[in-house]
Amino acid sequence: MIKQETLERKTFYKVGDFVLEYLVIIMILALVIVTAIVEPRFLTAANFRNVMGQFGPLSFTALGMTFIIMGGFIDLSLPGMISLIAMITLSLFDIIGEIPAMMVGMMLGIALGSLNGTILVKFGATTQAKALFITFGLSQLYGALSQLYTGGSPINRGAFEHPAPLTQALSSGTVGDLFPFYSFFNYIPFTFIVFLVFLAILFIFQKKTRLGRSINYTGGNFVAAELGGIPTKRITVMIYAICGLMVAIGAIVAFSRANVAAPVVIGANFERDSIMAVVVGGTSLAGGRGSVLRTVLGVSLIILLSNCMNLMRIDSHLQETFRGAVLVVAIWLDHRRHAKG
Amino acid sequence: MENSDIILSMTDVNKSFPGVKALTDASIEVRKGTVHAVVGENGAGKSTLMKILSGVHTKDSGTIIFDGETIEHTTPIQSIRRGLSIIYQEFNLVNTLTVGENIFLGRFREMKGLRNSHKKARELLDSIGSTINTHSLVGDLSAAEKQMIEITKALAFDSKLIIMDEPSSSLTADELKQLFVIIDDLRKKGVTMIYISHKLDEIFQLCDTVTVMRDGIIVDTKPIDELTRNDMIAMMIGREIENEWPERPRCAGEVILEVQNLRTKKLKNISFTLKKGEILGFVGLVGAGRTEIVKAIYGADRVKNLKEKDLKQTEHGESNKTKMPDNDIVNTKKAKKLKSGKRMLINGKLVKTRNPRQGIHAGIGLLPEDRKLEGLVLQFSVKENIVMSSLNKISKFGFLDASREKDIADKQIKALSIKTPSPNTKTVTLSGGNQQKCIMGRWLEINPDILILDEPTRGIDVGTKYEIYLLIKKIAENGGSVIMISSELPEVLAMSNRVLTICDGEITGEFDPEVASAHEIMDAAIGGGEND
Repeated sequence: MIKQETLERKTFYKVGDFVLEYLVIIMILALVIVTAIVEPRFLTAANFRNVMGQFGPLSFTALGMTFIIMGGFIDLSLPGMISLIAMITLSLFDIIGEIPAMMVGMMLGIALGSLNGTILVKFGATTQAKALFITFGLSQLYGALSQLYTGGSPINRGAFEHPAPLTQALSSGTVGDLFPFYSFFNYIPFTFIVFLVFLAILFIFQKKTRLGRSINYTGGNFVAAELGGIPTKRITVMIYAICGLMVAIGAIVAFSRANVAAPVVIGANFERDSIMAVVVGGTSLAGGRGSVLRTVLGVSLIILLSNCMNLMRIDSHLQETFRGAVLVVAIWLDHRRHAKG
Repeated sequence: MENSDIILSMTDVNKSFPGVKALTDASIEVRKGTVHAVVGENGAGKSTLMKILSGVHTKDSGTIIFDGETIEHTTPIQSIRRGLSIIYQEFNLVNTLTVGENIFLGRFREMKGLRNSHKKARELLDSIGSTINTHSLVGDLSAAEKQMIEITKALAFDSKLIIMDEPSSSLTADELKQLFVIIDDLRKKGVTMIYISHKLDEIFQLCDTVTVMRDGIIVDTKPIDELTRNDMIAMMIGREIENEWPERPRCAGEVILEVQNLRTKKLKNISFTLKKGEILGFVGLVGAGRTEIVKAIYGADRVKNLKEKDLKQTEHGESNKTKMPDNDIVNTKKAKKLKSGKRMLINGKLVKTRNPRQGIHAGIGLLPEDRKLEGLVLQFSVKENIVMSSLNKISKFGFLDASREKDIADKQIKALSIKTPSPNTKTVTLSGGNQQKCIMGRWLEINPDILILDEPTRGIDVGTKYEIYLLIKKIAENGGSVIMISSELPEVLAMSNRVLTICDGEITGEFDPEVASAHEIMDAAIGGGEND
């Protein structure tokens, strides 16, 4: 008799857990259904293209941030890094050409990320709190360097001598430009495809490889992982390097979409939004558990939320308020999930 | 028995947690002015019972009468004010505040200011014969002193009943004696105490009555003189066990590990050898340097690996030491440089361990002291925790093989009979013994030549302890070498082939536990200063 009771309770708890675990999906579905009913323009082809186009810089930086948070750390240096990478890359456009400049940008991203990770390791920072302060400081440093580099003035892409087709593609190109066979392709932005490619690579890396698993152990319990023979220090540097690469791509997409790129301004709020996307998606702030797929859900929710609110013509300040509320709720849910063990 | 004699009576108390019945019709009566022991394996329901008393949990049914008052719903603060204090294993003190502030935490207004609090705290501390300064920071105190502060805090509330949960777990033998004196003193003053402990020796020394619990049921309550040690163990585990320990294996062969001149800030020139198939016991007080030695060997604490050249210099330096005044040597740069370092030979070959990975490569495994903080990733599954150190076995070209992973986990779960609903169950939900087995499984999968076990049975119930002893025995019989650190002297003496005593960062003696007496060994472990 007792057994039956426990069984019933278990299933009950499983339903509760399920809701907690997949709340993002439920929220996305609810949002889509409600908006579709209230606002007819939501389900139009034009809006679909609009939403797809929103998978911009944030979706890349959030993928990078997923690895950092899963490894039990945090990276607030995103704004500074984006600013520095964007300024240096842009300044090289007319000198070495578009694609080499982008390569340099990505290398710089990996280098800055590795530097972040190495500094943390050297400082013996194995906790999120220490990483928070150190990377916050580094963000100021990188941001200031980018201002020094340009003398504080913005870079105007319109003034470039040479054409920049890849930048153009990342800004407004669609798959239809390359493969004009189906009209549907005109609705898939080029950036989205790039995003899917990185998503697939990072997903396989995280779930199927030894290094990916090592990130989980490091984030789950740094000391235990170290004593269990996981190269925690190397893993720390590695996750910051991965994040650095994704931040560089985010920076490239970001300046592709802006005609005038101003230092510091270009990277503003990326750390906040990336962390939000990761946590809303359900990757635990406590480290150890998470997935890039969850982050995609988090990014989708943020994009859809702002799309829906725009369509309903909700005041922008109110939109910001909503965004803040979503982040707080997400962190609370994360805590609940974690507390349940 | 008169009714007024009973300070606490719980009748038919029941408590369920989701999926578990933690207490079934638990009834207990505690007489005023006695020390009442509650014993049982982990998960027997002792903590639940105490947490219901203190108001952390609410009972499902049953009655509780404390000091003539029926208690229905209570909160921790209410029960403290009622005169029922509980001292947990992990202390509830604020490290950054002073002793006096801690004792009257949150009651400064009641005490009419901080000055009076300190004054009153001084009186209370004096009353239990403690000389701790009320102005010193709690964070600077030793575990034993913190415990005294906890007791004083309970007294500050005029507690009639003090519950102590495993009070001896972090105390040295001397400190324990002191604690016993205090408890005895309080008993004479009419304070009642409930004493929860795994250590049966303490209970026989100290307590008047014993309540044995098993699986959420109170098996029996008896005066201590009516019970023998074996009766008590039998009641706790529900069956008779002939022996607490298996017969020790005797398979020591050739020397496999040789540690020379291991020295750090804390360790002074540690040198010893370990033989193949041998179980080597490390005996010493907590903080004597036992854990530091094994962590340095394993590579978890970074200690410089000395080269042949360096070693010659130290030897040279030491031989000179006798001729020259001490200061000269200490002050020379080279001597300073060589203050910390180690030299290790495994199978006669020089081995460097700069991090745990190299330790594992060299054929060493370490089961850490604190399985929750240093051993397991608690939120991860049994499977993931078992395969943590054998990722190379389950991956090809850097890619994981899920079926290999499952095979390894299943194999170890079966081999160690880990009680878990599935390999995917989170380890946080398992009992302490099964958690420890998960870490054992991790190492058995690698099968290191040298396995270091730091407190392998701490906080583990009697039944599982025996299983772990059998495992250790099996490892030795299969040719593995084991270094075993334990604070439980009988356990080390029963299991080891050889015992090294460590005191204050030095090896103070080497004993054959089959010949030497426990007293002799303990004497060496506490520095040999006391001869009585």
